[in-house]
Amino acid sequence: MLGPNGAGKTTTVEILECLRSMTSGEARVLGLDVMKKAREIKYKIGVLPQDFNAFDLLTVKENIQFFGSMYDRMLDPMDLIKAMDLQEKADEYFKNLSGGLKQRVGVAIAMVNDPEIIFLDEPTTGLDPKARREVWKVIEELKKKGKTVILTTHYMEEAEILSDRVGIIDRGRFLALGSPREIIDEHGSGSHCIIANADAKCLNVLKERWPDHEIRNGNFIIPLRDKDNLVEIIYALDGSGGNYEQIQVTRPTLEDIFLRLTGRKLAEGGDTENAE
Amino acid sequence: MFYRSKSSVFWTIAFPVILILIFGAIFSGGNGGKYNIHIQDLSDSQMSHKFIEALNQSEVINVIDVGKDVNISEYIRENSPTAVLIIPSNFDSAFIPGATNNTTQLKLMIDPTSTSANVITSIVISVSDHFNLAIAQGGEIITLKRTDIASEQFNFIDFFLPGIIALTTMTTTIFWTVDIQSRYRENGIFKKLMTTPLTRMEWLATQILWQLVVVFISIATILVVGIALYDVELTLDPIAILIIISSSALFSSMGMILARFIKEPETAGTAANAITFPMMFLSGTFFPLETMPEYLRAVAQVLPLTYVSDGLRDAMVYNNIVGATNSLVVVVILAMIFFLIGVAVSRWKVE
Repeated sequence: MLGPNGAGKTTTVEILECLRSMTSGEARVLGLDVMKKAREIKYKIGVLPQDFNAFDLLTVKENIQFFGSMYDRMLDPMDLIKAMDLQEKADEYFKNLSGGLKQRVGVAIAMVNDPEIIFLDEPTTGLDPKARREVWKVIEELKKKGKTVILTTHYMEEAEILSDRVGIIDRGRFLALGSPREIIDEHGSGSHCIIANADAKCLNVLKERWPDHEIRNGNFIIPLRDKDNLVEIIYALDGSGGNYEQIQVTRPTLEDIFLRLTGRKLAEGGDTENAE
Repeated sequence: MFYRSKSSVFWTIAFPVILILIFGAIFSGGNGGKYNIHIQDLSDSQMSHKFIEALNQSEVINVIDVGKDVNISEYIRENSPTAVLIIPSNFDSAFIPGATNNTTQLKLMIDPTSTSANVITSIVISVSDHFNLAIAQGGEIITLKRTDIASEQFNFIDFFLPGIIALTTMTTTIFWTVDIQSRYRENGIFKKLMTTPLTRMEWLATQILWQLVVVFISIATILVVGIALYDVELTLDPIAILIIISSSALFSSMGMILARFIKEPETAGTAANAITFPMMFLSGTFFPLETMPEYLRAVAQVLPLTYVSDGLRDAMVYNNIVGATNSLVVVVILAMIFFLIGVAVSRWKVE
């Protein structure tokens, strides 16, 4: 679930995690009604809540054991520690861990009951780039294990890299749903070829050949219909005898799609921070 | 986790110990709870010595001699005594047989704000009366022998100990629960707990059980220190143990309810103080209820700690099974009510 702060991501997942009552509608997790079967659902899911915290004065291993003891089945804490690459920190107090390591412990705890669905609510918010990549690696591992992971984030690249399916959410509504590629194909404007600082000779040829062009900040932009287009452009430029500084092909990102769909940038965010 | 937190160990073990040491020192150490009276004996005669001797024998008064030549106003300014008695120089002349018209006047200066003023005054009066009678050669018709209500093997610390236990039970459980509840809510542990199948009833129950362990550690400490230092003769009988168990549940639930309405951990401690302080002083833990004005006694009747203190004292000191059982019933009922309210008001959902 990709969306700016205040979009309703956390609210949505917290309803699914049975942490929050909904004001209207119906929600089912694994076919179970969240209002009626909360306890059953909780046995089957694993959750890394936003702003996750565990017991400061328990070690990593003890924290995993503590939370594991609340379920009817429990994976071996040491296996989880290994899976999260936390072996060296197994007997370290939770309070002594860095932000990225704490999130990894959180993921380990979310997996302790061998859940069918794992909810990760903004697992990388507030982490530095290195720690963020560590968490990404862990999520990719979960994916490889065949776990369904529901991830919320306001980082475009995170959604693009990690997701099989992305839901773009804003102001409580899904604007687009599908694989990153599908969304881009459906809502994007296709790839473009950008020629920077072309001289008059080049421009004359290009303008004539591609009437559907655009000129922005001295860049000559041509929409690419298929692969052959690019070859044609290069031939045309070569044949014109003129000069240009740079030629580049761009593909729209989820960020562009968001801008297109909402008229705002992802990072600008919504109205309020949705902490609780 | 408990033993890894130095502050929790401190408050569980050291706090009750400090409490018992302070009160133990007040009630059994030093001059044994005697009142000081400063006496300037201007007469310095056989009779005046007898009089002072008689005051001394009251066992309640500790006589401090002020020299004959001392300027008494200056002495008072420098020493701020609570009570000063001046025996006039003509004191012994009043006792000359046959000279019945002679009178002498003792001068007792008292700080009226002091709690001991009345006690000292009445002792001086009674000793004077005794002397007056002796001069008039009247015999004493009424004599008095005083014994304590409970059997004589108990000393004051024994009476005080059930109060300390009640107080410790209350402060430990309320402060712990309020602290844990508000801290876990603030730092997100609560939210993580809510994602597990744990129910709020289970959470409350485990908290109460855990509080019970902490309370028993505290009480064991109190008893060990009491026995080691002050020869405390008390033991925990089944009723006392039941009262402690139900009062732990009562005060833990009270802490839960309190924490429900306080969002910030910073204010949680203050709120816990606001609840425990009035109870500490109005429930007969430190002062007997009889010394309080009528309206405060009415207040004490509705404070749960009153029943805990009373019950423990009945069970541990007076051996009053009926009284202890009555208090136990009240505490159990209150505990159930507060537990149910605690379950009802505590939210197991994100707001």
